[in-house]
Amino acid sequence: MMDLHILDNLATGFVAAASLQNIGFALIGCLLGTLIGVLPGIGPIPAIAMLLPITFGLDPLSSLIMLAGIYYGAAYGGSTTSILVNIPGEASSIVTAIDGHQMAKQGKAGLALSVSALGSFFAGCVGTVFVAAFGPPLATLAQEFNSPDYFALMVLGLAMAVMLAHGSVLKAVGMVFIGLLLGLAGTDVNSGTQRYTFGITFLFDGIDFLPLVIGLFGIVEIVRNLEMKEAPRMTVVARFRDLWPRLADLKDAVKPALRGTFLGSLLGILPGGGAVLASFASYTMEKKLAKDPSRFGKGAIEGVAGPESANNAAAQTSFIPLLTLGLPSNPVMALMMGALMIQGLQPGAAIMTKQPDLFWGLVASMWIGNLMLVVLNLPLIGIWVKLLSVPYRLLFPAILLFCVVGIYATNSSPGQIGLMAVFSVFGYILVKFGCEPAPMVLGFILGPLMEENLRRSLVLSRGDPIIFLERPISATLLVITVIVFGLIVLPAFRRGREQAFQEEG
Amino acid sequence: MVRIKSPQDFGAALVFILFGLGGIYFGYDLRWGSAARMGPGYFPLVLSGCIIAIGVVIGARALIFDGPSVERFQIRPLGLLIIASLIFGYLIEEIGLAISGVLMILVATYAGREARLKEAVILALALTAFSIIVFVWALGQSLPVWTGR
Repeated sequence: MMDLHILDNLATGFVAAASLQNIGFALIGCLLGTLIGVLPGIGPIPAIAMLLPITFGLDPLSSLIMLAGIYYGAAYGGSTTSILVNIPGEASSIVTAIDGHQMAKQGKAGLALSVSALGSFFAGCVGTVFVAAFGPPLATLAQEFNSPDYFALMVLGLAMAVMLAHGSVLKAVGMVFIGLLLGLAGTDVNSGTQRYTFGITFLFDGIDFLPLVIGLFGIVEIVRNLEMKEAPRMTVVARFRDLWPRLADLKDAVKPALRGTFLGSLLGILPGGGAVLASFASYTMEKKLAKDPSRFGKGAIEGVAGPESANNAAAQTSFIPLLTLGLPSNPVMALMMGALMIQGLQPGAAIMTKQPDLFWGLVASMWIGNLMLVVLNLPLIGIWVKLLSVPYRLLFPAILLFCVVGIYATNSSPGQIGLMAVFSVFGYILVKFGCEPAPMVLGFILGPLMEENLRRSLVLSRGDPIIFLERPISATLLVITVIVFGLIVLPAFRRGREQAFQEEG
Repeated sequence: MVRIKSPQDFGAALVFILFGLGGIYFGYDLRWGSAARMGPGYFPLVLSGCIIAIGVVIGARALIFDGPSVERFQIRPLGLLIIASLIFGYLIEEIGLAISGVLMILVATYAGREARLKEAVILALALTAFSIIVFVWALGQSLPVWTGR
């Protein structure tokens, strides 16, 4: 019975997503996402942040479809640059760069790229089924959730985000708290009191998401790139007649891709999990399973097939907590949540029940987006590579224009551009002091939700915090949180974490 | 005299402490309420307190353990990018996207090291035309193109 439901639902989704208009938006999203993702030094977070405004004029489903396209496109563009130029555009393709770039140096760039694309596509398909299968039961479970449980879930999500953030744990915790506090600015929903608005009218509705992320990521990213001495670009020219893999090569890639897909799908569901964790975990696993681990780092195809499948599967399944629990599990999902809220949608179980078209349409569009990446982007690799030769001095003014026009087009207020300026200065200072702004965005999105759920919980218990331990769901979640923090402090884990992040350098 | 052993962390500590103090200072008038009936000031003040505490711990550690130094702050790139954005944001209402876009890109180009005037002019014209085509014509955003509102 259950399975039939899924098919039914998926059919609804495909009908909604496969209209000519929506396929067009998926296509544009994929192309734009790849375009931005390929550009050196721009990962998916700034890419999505920059392209968000384009989607706001559309109806909710079209805008989500386009966003999903941008997301996959940007991730795919990131893998392309890490293989060809050894510049991982994002954290989740760091491990791809290790072996992928070696393969490219050995003249096997085409193989690495196609294995990465095909592996991603396969993982995307499985991930889509995962979302379709696990979404509804989780949404049912979510209906059991009460305020204390939500609060505990958010605490856990933030703890996991901290665990996976780069650099100092303490700073990451601090960044989360700063994000939470920033999220509270605006009119308090309960009392109507103005908080931290300084009498500025456009702050009454809270700090706008777009100037915040574009300032923190877009502008700061440009400045960081301008500060660097232009690095010599070691573009490896891939020979594209070799793009399609030979059968023998595929055979080596199938098993890692399968394992990566499975691992990624599981890790993506975890709060705080997602593409980065999945790709690292898959790489480690492949290295452990390999008969000859010394090949890793010297162009092992498993080191591309596994992590690339894993990160795409996880990218897919990390939509599950967002769409069922309303909890973004990583900064990219926080951006998606921001986009949903700008569309006037509150992510959570209600979306699935009240707007099944939207939910299933999105699920279907994920698959369509993945297909487009293989069918359209793979043949276009030649063009993407050409983009890499555009000098940065021509590129960054274009990026800036896009950011600023985007913000202005969304709300026609010069003040928002001023706000963007404020956050770019703040972000610049943070980066100089070694604080990663990504956890802050997660906090920013969750701030108002956490406050509301904490308030309701404490109203229920008349102010007694013991309520969080009395309810089985929240107690379990909090125990897991404590374990997570225990792990972070544990010396062995700490070394592993530092090591994992060192490979980026 | 205490020596700062990790300037980067010490800087971060200062940011945290200042931010937290700001949170308390500007949130001081908000009603605190009680745990059972949280006022609008409850959560902000708790958060501000936590931020300060984290800042203090990071700062203390920065005095004990060695750490990285702070990279030099470069005013020019960030400064020019911000000036360029503000020019755009505040002029578009008056003179429209076409002219303010060109001005913005001309200023922004000089945030880089190797700006060339001729190239900047061509780039500014091309990008502005492109953004008008994409944002105004293709996406139908209501932006003033030639004149203010």
